[in-house]
Amino acid sequence: MTTKTTKKTAPTECPRCGHDKLDLIHTSPVAGVWEIYHCQQCLYSWRTSEPARRTQRDAYPDSFKMTIEDIRNAVELPVIPPLRKS
Amino acid sequence: MAYDDLRSFLDALDKENQLLRITEEVMPEPDVAAAANAASRLGEAAPALYFDNVAGFDNARIAMNVHGSWANHALALDLPKTTGTKEQVAEFINRWAKFPVEPEWRDNPLWAQNSVEGEDINIFDILPLVRLNDGDGGFYIDKAGIVSKDPDDPENSGKQNVGIYRIEVKGPRKLAIQPGPVHDIGLHLRKAEERGEDLPIAITLGNDPVISIVASTPMEYDQNEYEMAGALRGAPAPIAKAPLTGLPVPWGSEVVIEGVIEGRKREVEGPFGEFTGHYSGGRNMPVIRIDKISYRTDPIFEHLYLGMPWTEIDYLMAPNTCVPLYQQLKKDFPEVQAVNAMYTHGLVIIVSTEKRYGGFAKAVGMRVLTTPHGLGYAATVIVVDEDVDPFNLPQVMWALSTKMNPSDDLIVVPHLSLMELAPQSDNPGTGAKLIIDATTPAKPDNRGNYGNQVRDLPEMGEWLTKLQQLAK
Repeated sequence: MTTKTTKKTAPTECPRCGHDKLDLIHTSPVAGVWEIYHCQQCLYSWRTSEPARRTQRDAYPDSFKMTIEDIRNAVELPVIPPLRKS
Repeated sequence: MAYDDLRSFLDALDKENQLLRITEEVMPEPDVAAAANAASRLGEAAPALYFDNVAGFDNARIAMNVHGSWANHALALDLPKTTGTKEQVAEFINRWAKFPVEPEWRDNPLWAQNSVEGEDINIFDILPLVRLNDGDGGFYIDKAGIVSKDPDDPENSGKQNVGIYRIEVKGPRKLAIQPGPVHDIGLHLRKAEERGEDLPIAITLGNDPVISIVASTPMEYDQNEYEMAGALRGAPAPIAKAPLTGLPVPWGSEVVIEGVIEGRKREVEGPFGEFTGHYSGGRNMPVIRIDKISYRTDPIFEHLYLGMPWTEIDYLMAPNTCVPLYQQLKKDFPEVQAVNAMYTHGLVIIVSTEKRYGGFAKAVGMRVLTTPHGLGYAATVIVVDEDVDPFNLPQVMWALSTKMNPSDDLIVVPHLSLMELAPQSDNPGTGAKLIIDATTPAKPDNRGNYGNQVRDLPEMGEWLTKLQQLAK
């Protein structure tokens, strides 16, 4: 099985979009095993104990990366309908 | 025997050697998903997996691959675990005929043991959430039955819906949801948003195995899933009223999350590795606010791995996609013999039919496109003769090999509606569809040089039985 890869220092950037404003949203019930962070820009969430390909910007696959343009141009699903006329 | 909750079904799987308990310590990622991914590669009798030693958690219980094989699917329907695919579909058709069976309102629901409300909610405290695939944008809930009502007709129990839709966890009490416009919850949300309202919902997790099957069945808009569960179980489905929203939810759920889809709000979601075997996402999708969570003591988190087919979702959505299509086609065309819509929830559909006259098979193929499910799926429809078993792919390939003339038997219809997740679509929401007529031409269609077809010898059946007995 995979060995534990607990990070001792808090992440400074989002692996997916590179943004530096991150929220710590949960910590492991067993202290010190992992933390869960959430990016304020692209809303990516990750656990610090996950493999580097999910947690490190330089190891994160390019095809999964997201830019601010991707977020701005994101398609709306489902489309918000017009309000009914009362 | 009908199972009233997930735990009694897990016990039954255990007794049938269809539940594998992983007792060694595993990492939440990638181990839980990788093991479930591997389970789906074990074949048609793969077991469910149960984890209760997950690093960093002090009280996690995760069940994976509960429906993830023909053996487990058979047991979910209380059939012997060796029941074949075609036989399971046939039994499904028989039980469907008993629809509707009224649900039973039952007191003291199992999920009422504990609850948390408002600002005290942290979903991470209750569910041991794990990421499934590398490119997923976060932690998902992808096997919950989500209950909602038609805002224009809230007293109509037929129009209420229990469906499985992907949910991304975005914060302690914030979720995202994918309500496709062709899905029932999409219709409910549209009406709520036209009215300028939020849509109340109840997300029910860890259900008895038939609830998950009906929640992923493409039923008609005004058909009640609990009434279908009763028909499939052979006993009324036990339900109870959710405390905050009053929505009818399964009596035996492990966890019931209540809240609203916030009207007229969208936010970036995903991506998520979907049942198509491709990621979808990075789109602006609706947001859920959680207002209350009720849960059994020591809840079991039932989760579903999906990826390159086949995985659990393909078993979960196999017979239950074939049967409504069969019923709808049979109603108009009694010549239809069988429907196989097991591939990617019916993106490919194979129909066997007798031919009333020349051109009839093509008409059946076109009817598939206009069934409620065909509107969003049925990218390719293959029509075969009545003596070809659509569940026997070598036979289907034989039909394609010999009965199909590319100049006349391939009909492409451009720009039809197609669900957004179909990777081959022209653009999300529409795409071309193909009907392949792989039937023997019937008079007055005289194309081809068919002459006489070789048939199984009349004595073959007797010999088959004899050989099977000798081989035991």
